Amino acid sequence: MGGGGFTMEPGRTALDAYILALAPVHRPRVLFLPTASGDPKEQVERFSRLFGTLPCRPRVLSLFHLDELEETLEALILGQDVVYVGGGSMRNLLALWRAHGVADLLLEAHRRGTVLAGLSAGAMCWFQGGVSSSTGSPEPIDGLGLLEGSFSVHARQVPERGEVQRAAIAAGRLPDGWNADDYCGLLFVDGRLEEAVASRPDAGARRVERLADGTVRETELPVRRLEPVTIDLVEDVAERRTGEALAPTDVRDELRAVRRMRDRATRRRMRTRGVG
Amino acid sequence: MEPRNPLMDDFVLELSGAEQPRICFLPTASGDADHYVVRFYRRFGAGRADPSHVSLFRRDRSAGAVEGNLEEHLLSQDVIYVGGGSLLSLLGTWRAHGLDRTLRRAWERGVLLCGLSAGSLCWFADAVTAFHGPSERVRGLGLLPHSNCVHYDGEPERRAAFRELVAGGLRPGYGVEDGAALVFEGTELQEVVTSRRDATAYAVRVGEDGAAHEHRLTARYLGADDPATAAPPAEGLAVAGSAAAAAPALALAEDADGGDAGVRGTVGHPLAGDAGVESAVAA
Repeated sequence: MGGGGFTMEPGRTALDAYILALAPVHRPRVLFLPTASGDPKEQVERFSRLFGTLPCRPRVLSLFHLDELEETLEALILGQDVVYVGGGSMRNLLALWRAHGVADLLLEAHRRGTVLAGLSAGAMCWFQGGVSSSTGSPEPIDGLGLLEGSFSVHARQVPERGEVQRAAIAAGRLPDGWNADDYCGLLFVDGRLEEAVASRPDAGARRVERLADGTVRETELPVRRLEPVTIDLVEDVAERRTGEALAPTDVRDELRAVRRMRDRATRRRMRTRGVG
Repeated sequence: MEPRNPLMDDFVLELSGAEQPRICFLPTASGDADHYVVRFYRRFGAGRADPSHVSLFRRDRSAGAVEGNLEEHLLSQDVIYVGGGSLLSLLGTWRAHGLDRTLRRAWERGVLLCGLSAGSLCWFADAVTAFHGPSERVRGLGLLPHSNCVHYDGEPERRAAFRELVAGGLRPGYGVEDGAALVFEGTELQEVVTSRRDATAYAVRVGEDGAAHEHRLTARYLGADDPATAAPPAEGLAVAGSAAAAAPALALAEDADGGDAGVRGTVGHPLAGDAGVESAVAA
């Protein structure tokens, strides 16, 4: 996500519900990593409050409070269906993940089919590179390289980031890629862009690429507007998945599409998954 | 930053030799926890110091932290005070921002370096932590060519692990109890000071029999000699002591309501008139 989800738009659950529905299981295990913000209590509480009401099994991994963790990092991370990474400092995020051996575990989890998601720093980290303000002003930064290309966030909200991305792509410092506004997310399946979705009107995303003449072109992507999601609707989907109960009527388009996508994903035994 | 016990913090300010010391707080090991930053300003802001703090998680936002050139700011300080929390997280974040090099430079220039718990371990060549899972050895910045173990009184497993590691070849070093601090000039231990009457520290090295031996160091209590007029009230000490036992390394970093369990730190201060090699206090 270029921004959005429970840490940025509390009360609007569309993007978070979308992420949750990507996991091909009932009541997916969801792990939130607020690493990039230094594991602030407030984010942890907000996550627990919302995801505690959604049909999932939420956990939080706080690398600053590892003394509270009873199992090993490996057992925790490899046991998840969804990993959701918060925003903040991408430089710190990657340094901390590497210091604790978390980066390798996340990549392994992904190989085993875990959905990887996040916003801002937590989205850019999956790509070859991004644009981070970790040291004060926006600058190119390398990511984990799980997804090919570069990704820049808060595109409309912080235009300087886009400028830095375009300049870096023109100079060959970053590969071609994408940028997204707040409230817009990109779904990648098997390393390829599947669709762009948004929780609000006018939230967009763009393909950014260098042309043969050395200039950089931005092309708007089609964006599917997610319907507002209520918790009731999310529960409907969960029930439908398991056949425990059938929602009476009118499951909205968004939820149907999410379900289709999830089924397709299951069939393919997706190699690469991530929501940027 | 022990609650209701300012002895160690007063000592740090005094050791700096400055009238109104410039003191910069690095709460990195706690993830720059807001409540910790607030506690720092409460302790050091009352007109007796010139306090500031660095947030490595919010360099793009002016949240009252130092902005712009961090190195310039840190090198201009009298004291750099490092908070407790996760040592691995502390070192990883510092290295990502080049602060490992900056802090060495600051030390060489004579800035007093100090800290507690993870903020003590970081200055040593080897640290023994027990933050998650079994005790393990972590390489610190290596300004002090010794090993260090903190919360020596509160966590028996950590103490046993430290002795075992030293017996197994880890360089000799110091086990430090809550409320005790090691004071170094350059790389040499000058003295042990304490904010609690019964706190102390141990030198741990391998004896001729191949086992690790602890040598209890003489400690100087920083409070008044007369218990009746001692600065920290007995209740305060008791509270700090029990909190430390219950939630050792993290009490400082995590407890929102001020459960600052015990001072465990490293203070480095400059050798006056020398080549500028500073000292460190490990509490």
